[in-house]
Amino acid sequence: MAAVQISLPLPVLPQGWTEEKDFKPIGQLSSATQRNIEPVGPHFLAHARRKRHKRTFSEDER
Amino acid sequence: MGAQEEGEEVPHEINAIGISFGNSNSSIAYTSSEGKAEVIANEEGDRYIPSILSYIEGEEYHGTQAKSQLVRNSQNTVAYFRDYLGKDFDSIDPTPCHASAHPKKHESTVAFSIQDTESDSQNDVTVSEITTRHIRRLASSASDYLGKKVNAAVISVPTNFTEAQKEAMTKASQAAGVQLLQMISEPTAAVLAYDARSDAEIKDKIIVVADFGGTRSDIGVIASRGGMYSILSTSHDYETAGAQLDQLLIDHFAKEFIKKNKTDPRQKPKSLAKLKLEAEATKKALSLGGNASLSIESLADGVDFASTINRTRYEMLAAKIFGSLTRMIEDTVRKADLDILDVDEVILSGGTSHTPRISQNLQRLFSPKTRILSPSTLPTAIDPSSLAARGAAIQASLISEFDKEDIEQSTHPMVTVTPHLRNAIGVMVVSDDTKKGLFTALVEKETAVPCRRAGIFAAPREGGDVMVKVCEGARDIKVTKKEKAKTNGKAASDDSDLDSDDEEDEEEIREKIWKVGTVLAEAAIKGVKKGGKVEVTVHVGADLGVVVTAREVGAKGGVRGNLDKPRLVENGSA
Ligand SMILES: Nc1ncnc2c1ncn2[C@@H]1O[C@H](COP(=O)(O)OP(=O)(O)OP(=O)(O)O)[C@@H](O)[C@H]1O
Ligand SMILES: [Mg+2]
Repeated sequence: MAAVQISLPLPVLPQGWTEEKDFKPIGQLSSATQRNIEPVGPHFLAHARRKRHKRTFSEDER
Repeated sequence: MGAQEEGEEVPHEINAIGISFGNSNSSIAYTSSEGKAEVIANEEGDRYIPSILSYIEGEEYHGTQAKSQLVRNSQNTVAYFRDYLGKDFDSIDPTPCHASAHPKKHESTVAFSIQDTESDSQNDVTVSEITTRHIRRLASSASDYLGKKVNAAVISVPTNFTEAQKEAMTKASQAAGVQLLQMISEPTAAVLAYDARSDAEIKDKIIVVADFGGTRSDIGVIASRGGMYSILSTSHDYETAGAQLDQLLIDHFAKEFIKKNKTDPRQKPKSLAKLKLEAEATKKALSLGGNASLSIESLADGVDFASTINRTRYEMLAAKIFGSLTRMIEDTVRKADLDILDVDEVILSGGTSHTPRISQNLQRLFSPKTRILSPSTLPTAIDPSSLAARGAAIQASLISEFDKEDIEQSTHPMVTVTPHLRNAIGVMVVSDDTKKGLFTALVEKETAVPCRRAGIFAAPREGGDVMVKVCEGARDIKVTKKEKAKTNGKAASDDSDLDSDDEEDEEEIREKIWKVGTVLAEAAIKGVKKGGKVEVTVHVGADLGVVVTAREVGAKGGVRGNLDKPRLVENGSA
């Protein structure tokens, strides 16, 4: 999907914030819910192709 | 593969169409070479073909011609049979067949006892056989129209169609010479019909599909995420649909007839059948105009009947039914753990959805931001009666080149059952109140993984070093109470007649807000130039591990980091 545009600005980096490689991992995602995706439509077919061939998004775009 | 093996058929050209097969009507559609779904008119010019077969001296009538036989030849006319397919007699509701051939027990299935040949004998024709004959007629109409033999189809079915019903449908279709490539659910077909339009924008949204038909009403709440659809909740009602609206008009006109003629036309099957056909036509006319007339020759005892009704009167008669349909939608949204404010679009599907009042009521229920896709609320809406067939036709064109095995593998739970995010993932931005951050969602909840979403964020005006703080967010509903403006002492002339005057002094204002949850990561983008922008991409893997990347738009480098996957995955309900 195309990137969305957000007009409100990002905050200024707090004084003294330092982290190796400028990235600080803090948490993990909450658990997820197992659901069925409807096997319908062009985007699903692309998903199925990736899943069956264990390909990633960027490989799929090639 | 199989093609070269002995005894296998030589691969032949597949000509596939989409079929919607309802208890009341069916439609056939194909996808043109430009990729547009078009509904096909049969030989009689009908795009909505009554799912009815009728027999006179061995001759088979189909569609509208068969429907008109409900007056004189009802015992040899088979109607409203779709839901009986793949069921045993004890589990069906025979009510819709009250005025046509009755369903009966036949071994482990359902049959109709009809005179379908030239001889006088009654034959038990199973619902599977009836379905085969119906599909054969539909395919033959499509073949005539397209000028080539249709031999495959995608058929739309309700979300609560059982495996046994699907199996019966596959066999019945096969027996009609139509290979059933796939069955897709009716609400998904409706969503696909809209998404396949050339001007459609693929956006993450919550869609309610309200399918109001003849003998049933079905609601589906669907999360549409990057063009993929997950059904969050469904509900079904067999007591509130088009037939009940017809009944209101039948009763209304019958009473008028009784007043003048002292006979009740509902007592005689033939009179009732005439009245029913005409009442339905009147009802449809009321979807278009403010007035409709009805005129029946020799309704009962040889007496003709003519009358008119206006839309206001009809809407008063039907207010209760319309109210139930609205409530059904509210309940189904709640069942999905969502709020009315979460709904971005309501797709009205099915014949009864032509009724202006039904969509007007929905406009009042939902926020003004919710798009109500119906003929009376949106000029560009697709005809609700055609949505399922169009969606099926699009799916047919997408998969008609696939091997059977490919389709089977792709629709297998191994591929379709997928973890869906429980919370939104987003980035904190600065609001007007600079001390407080605001959550901006990039990935909505109920998005299936793997997924990837990107956002381009503004930086502070002067540029410099900025912080990208990635969090989980949960939608919350904020309720504020506001004094209602007094309307000069008089009660506001609202049509919500049940509210007493004094209790509703306060007005509730409900709005969606985000509650910030777990902080996932922080990243720094340093030295952003004046007026620069930062692109943030969140990529969630199939195992729920996250990769965050952030960089200044147009600049080299940037930041990239990983988050470990969480421990457990829970089961969803729908
Ligand atoms: N223009 C219209 N205005 C109001 N009602 C209409 C209109 N057109 C069709 N209908 C009603 O819609 C109903 C049929 O809807 P539809 O064709 O979607 O049903 P179906 O899905 O085949 O049937 P079922 O719900 O019985 O499975 C009938 O009750 C019919 O009278
Ligand atoms: Mg239907």
